[in-house]
Amino acid sequence: MNPRPDHSQLVAPDDGIARGDVLLDVRNVSLSFGGVKAITDISLNVLKGEIRAIIGPNGAGKTSMLNVINGFYTPQVGTIIFRRKERCSMKPHEAVGQGIARTFQNVALFKGMSTLDNIMAGRSVMMKRNIGWQMLWRGPALKEEIEHREKVEEIIDFLEIQHIRRTPVGKLPYGLQKRVELGRALAMEPSLLLLDEPMAGMNLEEKEDMSRFILDVNQQRGTTIALIEHDMGVVMDLSDRVVVLDYGKKIADGPPDEVKNNQDVIDAYLGVPH
Amino acid sequence: MFYRTAGQFKTTYQADHALFPVRQDAVLLGIVLILAFVVFPLTASEFAFRALLIPVLIYSLAALGLNVLTGYAGQLSLGTGAFMGVGAYACYKLISIFPEMNIVVALALSGFFSATVGVIFGLPSLRIKGFYLAIATLAAQFFLVWLFQKWAWLYNYNASGAIQVPNIDFFGITVAGPRAPAIVQYYFVLCIVCLLTFFIINITRGRIGRMWKAVRDMDIAAELVGINLMKTKLLAFFVSSYVVGIAGALFVFLWRGAAEANLFDIPLSFRVLFIAIIGGLGSVLGNFLGAILIVALPVVISSVPEAFGLPLSSATVEHLNIMIIGALIIAFLIVEPHGLARFWAVIREKLILWPFPH
Amino acid sequence: MEFLNNVLVKPFADMAAAPDFLIQVLWEGLVGGVLYALIALGFVLIYKSSRIFNFAQGIMVVFAALTLVGLHERGIPAYLALPLTLAVMFVLAVSIERVVLRPLVNQPDIILFMATIGITMFLIGFGELIFGGENKVMITEQLMIPTGSFEFEPFGGFVSIEQKDLTAVIGAVILVAALLYFLNKSKIGRAIRALGDDHQAALSVGISLSTIWVIVWFIAGVIALATGIVWGARAGVSFALEVIAFKALPVLMLGGLESVMGAIIGGLAIGILEKVFEIYWGQPLLGGNTEAWFAYMLALLVLLFRPQGLFGEKIIERV
Repeated sequence: MNPRPDHSQLVAPDDGIARGDVLLDVRNVSLSFGGVKAITDISLNVLKGEIRAIIGPNGAGKTSMLNVINGFYTPQVGTIIFRRKERCSMKPHEAVGQGIARTFQNVALFKGMSTLDNIMAGRSVMMKRNIGWQMLWRGPALKEEIEHREKVEEIIDFLEIQHIRRTPVGKLPYGLQKRVELGRALAMEPSLLLLDEPMAGMNLEEKEDMSRFILDVNQQRGTTIALIEHDMGVVMDLSDRVVVLDYGKKIADGPPDEVKNNQDVIDAYLGVPH
Repeated sequence: MFYRTAGQFKTTYQADHALFPVRQDAVLLGIVLILAFVVFPLTASEFAFRALLIPVLIYSLAALGLNVLTGYAGQLSLGTGAFMGVGAYACYKLISIFPEMNIVVALALSGFFSATVGVIFGLPSLRIKGFYLAIATLAAQFFLVWLFQKWAWLYNYNASGAIQVPNIDFFGITVAGPRAPAIVQYYFVLCIVCLLTFFIINITRGRIGRMWKAVRDMDIAAELVGINLMKTKLLAFFVSSYVVGIAGALFVFLWRGAAEANLFDIPLSFRVLFIAIIGGLGSVLGNFLGAILIVALPVVISSVPEAFGLPLSSATVEHLNIMIIGALIIAFLIVEPHGLARFWAVIREKLILWPFPH
Repeated sequence: MEFLNNVLVKPFADMAAAPDFLIQVLWEGLVGGVLYALIALGFVLIYKSSRIFNFAQGIMVVFAALTLVGLHERGIPAYLALPLTLAVMFVLAVSIERVVLRPLVNQPDIILFMATIGITMFLIGFGELIFGGENKVMITEQLMIPTGSFEFEPFGGFVSIEQKDLTAVIGAVILVAALLYFLNKSKIGRAIRALGDDHQAALSVGISLSTIWVIVWFIAGVIALATGIVWGARAGVSFALEVIAFKALPVLMLGGLESVMGAIIGGLAIGILEKVFEIYWGQPLLGGNTEAWFAYMLALLVLLFRPQGLFGEKIIERV
């Protein structure tokens, strides 16, 4: 097998935060829908350069947590500090501008578009040429299109999906769709990448591939990653620190080994009555 | 055997981003353009210009405008006819207030009027989705046609309530009005349609086109990759209504010669929608194929039985026409929801492999 | 000042000055509203059971009325023409299910919606081809609908209520009551509602999709026939009147696509409001004929504040 090409030129943007410092700080956040409490008073932080896992049984509030982080839901209580800037509410598309990208539990690709177009769509925000140049397809617009195409081709190489470049993603098998979705998130050049169950529904081989991509993204590009995953083996191997949620509350937080032996966590997973 | 893509390698992304990366496609387009610019004008009769060629071009343009909104950005509109009307009335007022204005300038400006109205009626699309939005576009349809009837200033207080196109010169040649020769009008329309089609192709294959398609395919995901839904949808309404408005101005000025408010009513909106559906939503080529079919169908229905010695009354032709169009739409949706354009794509794929089965 | 007076004060002064006329206007609006509600009801029924937005519902009204009158014109007596028309509507329901719905099952909503536009066009062409495109008179007397009118003199004024309108209102109430009873109490009614909630779940407990669809489209056809008779008695029968069928659409926007009550209340509200607006604001201030768009603008305004309509279910977006 060929050695993996070096993609170190694809680095995460410099956001002035040193490796190991706090990149994202969520403080005392609560979220409820009507009378249903999804998240109760949770605080957690993500350090620059780490892989942070969020785990917990079904309905523990993991996806809600990601939705709060990238602005899809606005929490009723609490503050979120990202890149040293505090924010309360914002539109999801603004989160992308600040450097947060994500993938979804159920693949959320643009089904009618090709792999290439899907990943290019991830770069929409970075492309600035106005409609006047666009309709001529000359000069700055063409130059911009080609610059971004080069970046996208690097991602396509990195994820080993060259052969499906022109295939409409609706026709791809599930595992490849997940990979394209990762590609689209990478195309946004995020400083924080949120992955919502990146390995759900995959077979062992696909899981191994995906783990390798996640590690490579983290190590070669220096991208900070927060992920939700149910496969405990994967979580314990990949992540630097793990936070465990249950019924919308935080019950443990720490390195994988420590969390694994925490009595509350074991109870939550085995289902001790509350 | 003649349609091979093998051996045509691209060494730069620029070459890969050409309008026709495959050489044969470019040749084919060349042939079509030669037909349109040289062969048809030399051979077509006055009837062919007025009954087939000019309406096909104008309907194609209107359907192209609608396709931007419905096929690319996924916002179903049932009010195309009214937006064509805005373009036509705007052009009429511009020409009557500034008789010296160049017709091309007037056309380009009238597009901005319909685009503005389009954006206003597009605002609900930020809150309303799907069927509800489709019905909301009918609000534009009925309100605007009512306005065309009641606002006498729009038709210069004519007793008839209709707008009449005066003779208009374009650099010394009469292009519109009763004195304009059909061949001149044909060339004029052809040039405008080619230019706008070129612009739309470029817009739809670049960043803006991808943003539209992203909103169409999954609006929540589009928002979460950083696409501003409001701007993207309103831009689609703007561009779409701009093109539709120009098509409406051409419809009256270069083809009908006169128009009453009810010309822009529901049936026109539907005819344009059918062209877009039968041609293929989300395709540029499809609009032209669909327009050819819809414009030619009544001509065929009336002339074929006549050739067999069974002339039909004009009312019967019209009824049969509506019935067949309805059946065609259902048939297309069942057999090939992506319309005539997809048929061409399938044929093309077969040609690339021919004479081998795989 | 003059303008404000004309918009805000004068219409109400007019209403107070001639209460008998106001009553007449309200009654006319109410009858119109009953018709809108009936058309909208056909929509809701089909939407609830199959998630299809049936654009053809309005045309089915005209088609049913045209078939009835057309059959009578060919010498078939009314008591035979009526069941024959019902049979035609049943055949129509079966053919739509066979030819259109079955091949398109599981397609995106928008494709099915466009298919119903295709049905609309086909029915217009087909109906005109067979029965002719000219305006026809509804066979009101042959169907034993009374044609006289009741006259009152409240407040020293004069109000006239046509008996056929009154019959229409009473007929509509009975029809709606029967329909609600059928939906809530009968086995098929429950199956229809189950299909609306979840197709696959309903299929997995043994509800036959195609049977239900035929039944639902047939019921929609019966409602269409009833609407067609009433409406034809008021305005004549011809496809030129298809525009009135478009009036049912804002009723749906207002009432929500899935709510039977919404369709009824929305229909009545729009019927009355548009009449009142036309008489007191439209004709004196805007040159009249505001009924062409008033319902749509009203519905649009409501939707801007409640995107799911007044009675629709709230949409929660998830990822």
